[in-house]
Amino acid sequence: MDLTELGDRVARVAEEHATRTDRDAVFPAEALAELRATRLLGLLVPVEHGGLGGTTEDVVDLGIRLGRADMSVAMIFTMHCQQVAAVVRHAAEPLRSQLLGRLGQGQEYLASVTTEAGKGGHLLSAEAALHGDGSRLHVDRFAPIVTGGAHADGFLITMRSPDAESPNEVSLVYAHRDQLDVSGSGDWQPMGMRASHSIPLKLVGSVPAHQVIGQHGKFPEISTTIFAPMAHLGWSATWLGTAAGALSRVLRLLRGPEGRKRFDVGSELLLTRLSRARQRLDGVHALLRRATDTVRDALDLSVPNHQLLLNALKITAAEQCHAAVQDLIDAVGLRHGYLKDSPTRLEQALRDLRSASLNYSNDRLHLADGRLALLDPEVRLV
Amino acid sequence: MDPRFTELLAPFLKFGKDKQITPESNLRALGLDSMRSIELLFAIEDTYGISLPDDEMTDATFATAGSLWHAITAQLPDETGART
Ligand SMILES: Cc1cc2nc3c(=O)[nH]c(=O)nc-3n(C[C@H](O)[C@H](O)[C@H](O)COP(=O)(O)OP(=O)(O)OC[C@H]3O[C@@H](n4cnc5c(N)ncnc54)[C@H](O)[C@@H]3O)c2cc1C
Repeated sequence: MDLTELGDRVARVAEEHATRTDRDAVFPAEALAELRATRLLGLLVPVEHGGLGGTTEDVVDLGIRLGRADMSVAMIFTMHCQQVAAVVRHAAEPLRSQLLGRLGQGQEYLASVTTEAGKGGHLLSAEAALHGDGSRLHVDRFAPIVTGGAHADGFLITMRSPDAESPNEVSLVYAHRDQLDVSGSGDWQPMGMRASHSIPLKLVGSVPAHQVIGQHGKFPEISTTIFAPMAHLGWSATWLGTAAGALSRVLRLLRGPEGRKRFDVGSELLLTRLSRARQRLDGVHALLRRATDTVRDALDLSVPNHQLLLNALKITAAEQCHAAVQDLIDAVGLRHGYLKDSPTRLEQALRDLRSASLNYSNDRLHLADGRLALLDPEVRLV
Repeated sequence: MDPRFTELLAPFLKFGKDKQITPESNLRALGLDSMRSIELLFAIEDTYGISLPDDEMTDATFATAGSLWHAITAQLPDETGART
């Protein structure tokens, strides 16, 4: 079966439950079950480990497709793929075969634990430290926000390396749910992204020493080569899909019998607003495709111009996808722009997309980009 | 490595106090973050009167004291004999 068909299957389930999961701020368990059943959870797992052998471009395509149906489901999927990509690239035997085997069967949903109280989104430092006694690593970590944390089968966790001399020595470690005592209040009452069920958790337990991904202290490298690029591509695809779905529903409304009566499609203001929304999405889409190709082809993603492109994608997608939905709300007005029960679902799209600039703060990325710009005085555009 | 270089490096490594800097010293682990690496770059360029090429602005260049020193010596005129 082709991936488009599998994506459509998950999108249908996501759409069916979207109103309830948003209203009740609960995890889309049915959509996750469909991601397992279609084995899309194993999209990036190589065929020899039983996965679908998909590419980064497939993640982007599916992120857009699922985003059209439900932004939380799309983010759950793309972030899981980001975790899988790190395992595929950096996990060593025996963890590699065991974990990829389960992932390839769609049996394992991986959650991400990078954010920490006290350092916010700063990826390359860690407060809580791993303690090693030779054969095992002891994990004791508070995680303020973990998407799907109550449903995850396993976690990739950043922690300070054992015996680290500074907070900048960060390791990435895998822990299966059964290896941890997972506790938390379950409190989650956000503005949007309600179905992402991104709860605070306390994770305590111990894992065999070989469950470190890459080597100790190697997280910065994993971050530059896989984690950050996959996050920015996956998030941007998710946001673009959300805004594209919103635009599509508005256009169908305008062209339908009710819309033709209600709206004057000769209105220059309406036409201009539709044009602006579409223009924003085409800009983000072009940047997303360019960045996807760069991630596939670049020999060294750490060079400033590649990092600048990936950061520009994230910042631009966050701003423009949100702005496109704002345009659409003005274009259609109160009934179909502001009320929850409109089939355009603009109200939810706007709340969900409001998280985009915060989810790895655009402010933080601008500071990084200013420094990177100074390192590329020739301005070598990618 | 030139003692001038290790002296220049020390203030940028907030976790490197009381540690000997060797070519293997991991600069990021010792506290060199991206903001400080810009300042370090300016200090290197002022001290040695060189300009590091854009192509060297990679994580690999700033990985260890040795890799950074290597990038510097590549820009030094040979006769200084500083290449150790
Ligand atoms: C829907 C959603 C789901 C998420 N899921 C997960 C998950 O599954 N796992 C996970 O680990 N995390 C998750 N996150 C967290 C996310 O990855 C970021 O870490 C988080 O959004 C950043 O939070 P912050 O604004 O508190 O922190 P910061 O990034 O620290 O920002 C705090 C404030 O400081 C400003 N600031 C900018 N630059 C700096 C700087 N250099 N130093 C200090 N402050 C700066 C920021 O602009 C902001 O105003 C999720 C976030 C969202 C919105």
